[in-house]
Amino acid sequence: MKNSFRLLSLVLICLACVEPNDNAPNGVPFDGTGYKPIYATADEAAKVQVAAAQPLVQPGKIYLFDPYIFVNETGKGIHIIDNKDPKNPQNLSFISITGNYDIAVKGNWLYADNLSNLLVFEISDPLSPKLVKTINDAISVNNFPPYQNVYFECADSKKGVVAGWEKVPMTTQPKCFR
Amino acid sequence: MKKLMPFLFLGLALLGLCMILTACNDGESSVGPQTGTGGSMARFAITGNTLYIVSKQSLEVYDITKGEAPVRTVRKEMNVGIETIFPYKNNLFIGANDGMYIYNNANPVSPVLLTKYTHIQSCDPVVVQDKYAYVTLRSGVACRRGNTLSSLDVIDVSVPSNPTLVHSQVMASPYGLGVSGNKLFVCEGSNGLRVMDISDPALPVDKYNFSDVPAYDVIVRPNHLIVTGEKGLYQYKFGNSNEYELLSKIPVL
Repeated sequence: MKNSFRLLSLVLICLACVEPNDNAPNGVPFDGTGYKPIYATADEAAKVQVAAAQPLVQPGKIYLFDPYIFVNETGKGIHIIDNKDPKNPQNLSFISITGNYDIAVKGNWLYADNLSNLLVFEISDPLSPKLVKTINDAISVNNFPPYQNVYFECADSKKGVVAGWEKVPMTTQPKCFR
Repeated sequence: MKKLMPFLFLGLALLGLCMILTACNDGESSVGPQTGTGGSMARFAITGNTLYIVSKQSLEVYDITKGEAPVRTVRKEMNVGIETIFPYKNNLFIGANDGMYIYNNANPVSPVLLTKYTHIQSCDPVVVQDKYAYVTLRSGVACRRGNTLSSLDVIDVSVPSNPTLVHSQVMASPYGLGVSGNKLFVCEGSNGLRVMDISDPALPVDKYNFSDVPAYDVIVRPNHLIVTGEKGLYQYKFGNSNEYELLSKIPVL
């Protein structure tokens, strides 16, 4: 419980973007690096594209829907693999989706996250999945990087949607910490 | 009842169609015949006609009877730091930074919180087989604070409202995990994929380590293993012995 409160208060502190804390909150000194938001315009963030097969670069979570395997490309989209012959799987196509990490399938429908949006694709032809529905703001996403004990530049919604985070050298200690 | 008839009919028709058109999934998972299977790292899960999504501090429940038009039925507020969801039988096991929540989903569109099993802070996907839940607790910058060790915990969940820790052992850097029969697979990130024998389900014993297969998420089907990690997507065939035949690999380029 104590930890939850501590975490909660840290989150609140981050969200409120209070004055920089010189006392190194939580005992973690600033090491000259921090996380910087990668901004996208709402249009860029919502852009979904079905493309030819792409090589795996940073494979994330997997989802099996026989005979297909869906492999998440971390934060970037979904590889669709035909696995009829597990000895010779075929990389069929790629759905490019900003901020995608998760996949679930029922019948002809594939559900995927796109930042805070929930997308539904019709996949009866896995070579050309079709986006049929977007539910905006279905998933609450964090306004901070997916790491703890890190300093980061506070997200500013005026600059756009946070599509990701990158670790960069910083000359001054950023105001946000978690 | 009258209102329900079309849905019932549609459901049966779809089920029949699925059985005819595809061989369906004949796995031993708790999911329906036309639903797939995720790994333990998943934040999305489908059982029957319900899609569950865990986001940073809530459980979102969608009715997907009409697959193309999900309808949110309920949202359960939770504590911060929700990580993963694993449906098993009539329960949802939700891994969070500070513990494991167990919801009963006998009524799928409105899960009921049974209990929260609290542990020290970490990242913790969970899988369940029969009486036991297997939870990995990963330390490190992104997860557990301080110098505590990563571990694999075995929790007796035979009474889901009263989970009890029965075993804990040190791990290197555990991520996803998968279970099938007497085998437990633990992804150890860049340290590889660890295979454990759970003939005694309360006491996993190290059997084998694929040290050259960096592993992040795993799906285990009877005799079939699917693993992803920083080197790519690997598939293995296995039997009761400890022999693993590499079926294929889609490498990272």
